[in-house]
Amino acid sequence: MSDDDQNRPAAYADAELADSASLCADVLRNVANRWRARLVAGRLGDRPPDETDRLVRSLEEAAALVEGSHDGQRISLPTSSETEERFRRLVDSVRDYAIFMLDPEGRVLSWNTGAERIHGHRAEEIIGSPLARFYPEEDAKAGKPERELAVAATEGRYDSEGWRLRKDGSRFWATVVITSQRDDAGHLRGYAGVLRDITAQRQAAEVLRQSEERFRLMVEAVQDYAIFMMSPEGRVSTWNIGAERIKGYRADEILGRHFSIFYTEADRARRHPEEELAKAKRVGRYAEEGWRVRKDGTLFWASVVITALRDSKGRLIGFAKVTRDLTERRRQDELRDTLRARDEFLSVASHELRTPVSALQLQLESLCEVVHDPAPERSVDLGARLDRAVHSASRLARLVEALLDVSRIATGQFELDLAPLDMREVVSQAIDHLRAEAARAGCDIRLDLPAQPALGRWDRVRVEQMVFNIVTNAMKFGRGKPIEVSVVPSGERMTIAIRDHGIGIAAEDRERIFDRFERAVTSRHYGGLGLGLYITKQIAAAHGGSVGATSAGEGTVFSIDLPRTRDDHAAIEGGRDDVERA
Amino acid sequence: MTSNEPEPHQHLVLVVEDDQDLREIVSDVLGARGYRTDCAVNGEDALEKLANDHKPCVILLDLMMPVMDGWTFRQRQLEDPKLRDIPVIVLTAHASATQVGEELAASAFLAKPVSLKSLLSMIQRVCAAEGAPAS
Repeated sequence: MSDDDQNRPAAYADAELADSASLCADVLRNVANRWRARLVAGRLGDRPPDETDRLVRSLEEAAALVEGSHDGQRISLPTSSETEERFRRLVDSVRDYAIFMLDPEGRVLSWNTGAERIHGHRAEEIIGSPLARFYPEEDAKAGKPERELAVAATEGRYDSEGWRLRKDGSRFWATVVITSQRDDAGHLRGYAGVLRDITAQRQAAEVLRQSEERFRLMVEAVQDYAIFMMSPEGRVSTWNIGAERIKGYRADEILGRHFSIFYTEADRARRHPEEELAKAKRVGRYAEEGWRVRKDGTLFWASVVITALRDSKGRLIGFAKVTRDLTERRRQDELRDTLRARDEFLSVASHELRTPVSALQLQLESLCEVVHDPAPERSVDLGARLDRAVHSASRLARLVEALLDVSRIATGQFELDLAPLDMREVVSQAIDHLRAEAARAGCDIRLDLPAQPALGRWDRVRVEQMVFNIVTNAMKFGRGKPIEVSVVPSGERMTIAIRDHGIGIAAEDRERIFDRFERAVTSRHYGGLGLGLYITKQIAAAHGGSVGATSAGEGTVFSIDLPRTRDDHAAIEGGRDDVERA
Repeated sequence: MTSNEPEPHQHLVLVVEDDQDLREIVSDVLGARGYRTDCAVNGEDALEKLANDHKPCVILLDLMMPVMDGWTFRQRQLEDPKLRDIPVIVLTAHASATQVGEELAASAFLAKPVSLKSLLSMIQRVCAAEGAPAS
């Protein structure tokens, strides 16, 4: 132990220390007694009894030591370093506490350095003053100091928190403990007071409280976002204006209810809400866009973010959920997409009509010339020219019909007229209609039909249309090469396979070519409208079938796969949906 | 036939167009004016015809064709010193025909649908500019 440490207690050995020491001893003994009582009663909570016993003994020892310094004699410090440390801390801490004694009438008897520091009064200024002097005027007038002493006198102790006055009249926020002091006969000798200035802590707490309050008010006032908290199980625990506005529930209707109420029946059935929470719990956050249900049952398109909330120890305490209503934005996006698809369609359609219109125009103009100026050297086969003009006009008519089909599909008006048919007959007739054109393209069409009738219920015109679309496509991309068409019944299904020997289709393009306006080759290469395969796909789908393409080596095989029986009068489903997504 | 029309028999026109109806009628109306025509159904076909047959005084070129399109054909033609100088009239259904014509450094362009009058006057003009004798 250093000289300094040895000398230090002696510096306190003056009259003031005597008072403080007496008070300290009281405080120490009070604490020791309380813990002794708890030790005996076994009410120690987590504290180990051994350590508590040691602490109590140290406190008692310290109390005795402090009392021993009453007459100013040098305090001999205990040899136990533990006790010494506790004692020193106690003395130090006294600077942070106002510790004072009051007589039974509540007048100040003693006043420590902590009290001087906190209140600003020196001991000689304040000894003999009533307790009420430290209270704000309204409290003093209301008789608060007297009431507090009365409680301390009867209960032995009074704890309070409140405003107190400094010498300069300024206020501070204090915690105060007043204990009554009684002699052995039980007569009231006075009171001991311990006071602490916690203004700074209170201000910090107040700032925090105000900040939290402002944040809460802000969240509550947000209109455009539903912001709410949920328990770890997903029960709603807070609710803001935005949530009320978007979802339609008032706070009192929704608090405590499970958040799966905001989901569609289908989402609930597949336990999607629970999965969202599980994902948020696992990775901290889950975000998605999807349909949600308002209180009135209507759907809205929501952008959702769920964030897991954890305490400082990492335990899940709940979830925060932020939801935005993007229905309007989605509607605008869809509208824009629809308009874009329409513009694209009009552009493609007008583009594709220009070539056959050119042919027809030149044919008619040349016919006019011949009629108006029938010079002998220009005598041409008028009949052949008229035939070609008629042919061009009928091609235009087919093109217009295809455009109308697309329009019907888009508006869900596309319907099938099913009838019992022999597929052999349907396909061979469709091919017969194409023979002349195939011959002009140098394509030999080879037909492979089963020996037995291939019966089923289909729409004859639409099946012919599918065959026509795929075969003309084959002729376009495989000029001068043969095309093989076969009909293959298998069980309940019927397949029409069309094989060309053209340029083939890359694997990654084989799905895409069936989309509207899509072509596997660049648009520059393509002569057709780009609608043929799309319409074919829709017709197959309306029959409950499908159409696909495979390329192996040179050329492509298109397979139209249809069920043989389908009794309902089918309309193309999802046509409108297709437009919205296009 | 009026005196300021070109001497047509000298003039061979290569028609590159995948649409059969249009190909045939263009061939017909040019034939009636005394032009000789050679027809190709796409760019690849046209390159074969140019390799084997007589050099035409003008190529009437469609753009959107299967197998080899007009853009690719034009590129190949410009790369070949023997073919480079043959004038090309682009026949396009493209909405911005002017721009396409410029991109391809074509002698001229015709936007579909094309009229008989503009087709004939364009071919006559380009062939005449080639130094063909006018009758």
